[in-house]
Amino acid sequence: MSQLVIKNLEVTVKDQKILRGINLTINEGETLALLGPNGHGKSTLLAAIMGNPAYKVTGGTLELDGQDLLKMTPDLRSKAGIFLAMQYPSEIPGLNSADFLKSAMNAHRQKALSLFEFYNALQNAYKDMGIPFEMSKRNLNEGFSGGEKKRNEMLQMRLLQPKIALLDEIDSGLDVDAMQIVAEAITKEQKRGAGFLIISHYARLYNMVHPTKAAVLINGSIAVEGGPEIITRIDTGGYEWIKDELGIEIEKEEGGPMNTVSIGSCATKERMDNGNK
Amino acid sequence: METNNPEKRIVFVDNIPASFAYTVNEGQNIHLNMASFEDFCDRTIDINVLSNGSFEGTFADFSHGNGRFILNVHLLGEGAKCHWSLASLNNGSSEKHFDTSVFHEAPHTEALMSNYGIARDNGKLFFAGISEIRQGSHKTKTRQESKIIVFDPEALGRASPILRIGDNDVEASHAAVVGRLNSAHLFYLESRGISEEEAKRLITLGYLRPIENFFVDAKVVEKIERAIEGGI
Repeated sequence: MSQLVIKNLEVTVKDQKILRGINLTINEGETLALLGPNGHGKSTLLAAIMGNPAYKVTGGTLELDGQDLLKMTPDLRSKAGIFLAMQYPSEIPGLNSADFLKSAMNAHRQKALSLFEFYNALQNAYKDMGIPFEMSKRNLNEGFSGGEKKRNEMLQMRLLQPKIALLDEIDSGLDVDAMQIVAEAITKEQKRGAGFLIISHYARLYNMVHPTKAAVLINGSIAVEGGPEIITRIDTGGYEWIKDELGIEIEKEEGGPMNTVSIGSCATKERMDNGNK
Repeated sequence: METNNPEKRIVFVDNIPASFAYTVNEGQNIHLNMASFEDFCDRTIDINVLSNGSFEGTFADFSHGNGRFILNVHLLGEGAKCHWSLASLNNGSSEKHFDTSVFHEAPHTEALMSNYGIARDNGKLFFAGISEIRQGSHKTKTRQESKIIVFDPEALGRASPILRIGDNDVEASHAAVVGRLNSAHLFYLESRGISEEEAKRLITLGYLRPIENFFVDAKVVEKIERAIEGGI
């Protein structure tokens, strides 16, 4: 059984300590909703797990099935079974999407895919993600809309079949239809047995993919960990109760609490905007 | 060299003359395809473009050596156009200068000068050139793009585009980027299981490969492809 174990993880970005000892475990088939105010380290945690060199791990351990991820470069972590869907996927000029996907898929295999196997897999994945196959001829993410980039991340997840997938605001910028497609892609991988760590500001996505547990990251540490009922509580009441019940002062609050951007206002507005195009 | 065919393609593979001049006649479309895989040396090319003529120049440069490549395009007639593309791979200890200039000397003329380069090892790569809009050349559009990726600590790249604008009612712009490989791009590819080496290769390929689109001879395209693959 696959298991990602994060122990006392400390991470520094540009000499500033962002994560101050994170402890989390994600088992195969589990989906962890990672919540917390903006600027408290959620994205930092995901980037550090994937091995982004801009994020320096200064303490703690990170293991996937007993293998020390901290000793691995990002490509080896990917091959070990970690996938990160990025909040802002890079646009790579001149790099054809299909060529990129072929390189990525072959990197995960002992024997390179035949052209037939590759195009078959590619066509199915594009179809499932509701992306026109023509997009595979375009440069990677170049000129893609926000929603296209996010779906393209999910397409890569589908093709690479990770053991543990980390999704950083995969639902931001998606209209309701695209949100449905993304949720279906996640559900499919959940059924395959993949574990998930999902950051989102929308209760809507969480309602669709049914996290098995939730954690709240505040001031660089996990303040609360528990069942999915935490999501509902934050969606309706924000983060104030954490302060009241646990006496944790929320140091900086750049973004508002979750309920200011929850489904009632946002998704409906997006739907209306789309209807008006 | 002169001709009156409306469409003409001139191809030089490794036998580019040290200096030549060419006039694109009224309404003519000239494609100049140059590819170099051996020695780099001093060269001067002068192009005059008459009314509604179009000059499309392309240089795929994978040569070694030191020198200065000078291209001067004069858009002399109304509606004359120039589209220049360079892809240069500079490795070993070569020092190459590319001075690619365009002079707008009539109204409604258009030019895009685009230079892409890779500097590796001790290679030194310099992109310079003037885009000049002379007086009386209103409704003119001109753009210069220069990009150099510097791979190694000893390699050097410099881009110094110059715009000179002598008339109103024109569009002029330039973009110059010199730098190392974008670390966010590298991380993105590596996070998909692609090794650092392969990621660098893919990004560099994406940088040089578009030049192939301008060549029609499959054999030349193949030779460029091999030079790109072999050089990075």
